[in-house]
Amino acid sequence: MERLLPQSEREEGVFEVTIDAADVTISKEVLYRALGYSDNRIDPHFKDIVDHVLAGIHDLCAVRAGYRVLDAHVKADRGEGLVVGRTFITTGCTIAGQLKNAEKAALFLCTIGPGMEAWSRRLFREGDPVRGHFVDTAASLAAEKAAAVLHDHIGLVMAGGGLKVTNRFSPGYCGWPVADQRRLFSFFPENFCGISLTESALMVPVKSVSGMIGIGAHAMRENYSCERCSRKECTASRAYKNSAPT
Amino acid sequence: MNELVETIGRCVERGKINKASPFPGDMKGLDGADELTHQALEAGTDAEAILQACIAAMVRIGEKFGRNEVFVPEMLMAAKAMKAVTEHLKPFFQSGSVQAKGTFIIGTVAGDLHDIGKNLVSMFVEGNGWNVVDLGVDVKPEKFIDAIRKQPKCVVGLSALLTTTIVSMSKTVQEIRALFPSINIVVGGAPLTMEIAKEMGANGYARDPQGAVRWLAAIREAS
Ligand code: B12
Repeated sequence: MERLLPQSEREEGVFEVTIDAADVTISKEVLYRALGYSDNRIDPHFKDIVDHVLAGIHDLCAVRAGYRVLDAHVKADRGEGLVVGRTFITTGCTIAGQLKNAEKAALFLCTIGPGMEAWSRRLFREGDPVRGHFVDTAASLAAEKAAAVLHDHIGLVMAGGGLKVTNRFSPGYCGWPVADQRRLFSFFPENFCGISLTESALMVPVKSVSGMIGIGAHAMRENYSCERCSRKECTASRAYKNSAPT
Repeated sequence: MNELVETIGRCVERGKINKASPFPGDMKGLDGADELTHQALEAGTDAEAILQACIAAMVRIGEKFGRNEVFVPEMLMAAKAMKAVTEHLKPFFQSGSVQAKGTFIIGTVAGDLHDIGKNLVSMFVEGNGWNVVDLGVDVKPEKFIDAIRKQPKCVVGLSALLTTTIVSMSKTVQEIRALFPSINIVVGGAPLTMEIAKEMGANGYARDPQGAVRWLAAIREAS
């Protein structure tokens, strides 16, 4: 259900988008699968916990999301990254390849806030690790969903100007170093969307996602090119390859 | 083996904590690890026999996890049932007639705030008969060192979630090594591999709680 969401301009070119907690709720089936129960064969007690956790998401997710669009181009002589605004970002060749048709790039940040994390931590402390684990898993799914909702929104905004968007890519994936988070954050005002970066480039709140989306008349959302990548340690690729039809 | 002891083992394997616990569905309303251990000790059953049966049960649930027959939630329920048993065995641990396998000091390294993976490992290692000291998240090397000083024969576990916090992990390994050259250190977390672990000078790497328990069993055997 793609729809244009309300957004406001925080400073020139930097937009904050209003995403409701209801937009990041996930279905029971998705949570069952993330916990390992792909065939829905799950103990009734765990089903009750899932219901309880999903009911809590609405009150505990304080979603905040935003983006900034800048001119961007892949430099022919420096294939391992792209120039965004006036900054060269070393995304690695995989992402640069996927963005080769981009004329602009949207840098984005989003978070579900600290509420779910705190709930999970409290449950562990109080001796209910199962519920704590379920809350943590649901929170991760909600954070990913927030990024997906923001991606769709940016797609619709761009479509209004006759432009298309690519997939979204994040530092830490496809050869783009996590350390580049600092460069990505430098495009935003301090503490934008309530997210800050620690010395070791960790986002706080933890349940946050950052990244970049290519924009252009000929940009396309396509399958991730995991089959062409040899990075064995990437768990996203492992999951992709396992689920890809043979 | 005493039938009651066997039933306690089954409760641990299935994650049946006590009578009030609704899990697992097919054991609802039955006595659990808590009540049965109490009964067994009252009847004069050897505490060590109960502990061994439960440790064997934890090994079985770990194997099922390895075969994808059960998932983290079942493992956590088993660890909780095990905890219910060890609560009853506490006086025997204190008197020395029953012993923990050793002390495992675990923490998420400085600069990293992720605790879920570390918590799961900590729960499961404890459930397998180790005394666990959980130092929390964002743990500076000095804090690990202080804890090791108190338990010089311990094994250390370090957790990290991002490649950027692996730097802090390496530093922690080095600082610990400089003071305690022969201490065993195991590392884990999503971005790690055996290669990275070896490079930073850790003794071992495990990708999940079950792997951690297996590694701990192996070094215990070797020592
Ligand atoms: C869910 C998820 C998220 C969630 C939150 C994760 C969380 N932990 O809170 C969200 C969507 C928010 C997220 C965001 C990001 N993520 Co992420 N995420 C994942 C994913 C898919 C699962 C992580 C998880 O929660 N697993 C469940 C927990 C229980 O597992 P765990 O913490 O790994 O712990 C287990 C083992 O590692 C082990 N273990 C852990 N500690 C220890 C210690 C010892 C001693 C031992 C023996 C074992 C052990 O046992 C645990 C239980 O099984 C992983 C990929 C994967 N499959 O692992 C990527 C992953 C961790 N993410 C990654 C990245 C890059 C990011 C982002 C930087 C992306 C971005 N730019 O936005 C951000 C960073 C967020 C931040 N705060 O800075 C990378 C990290 C690698 C790297 N390049 O640094 C991974 C590995 C994906 C990849 N590229 O392969 N992520």
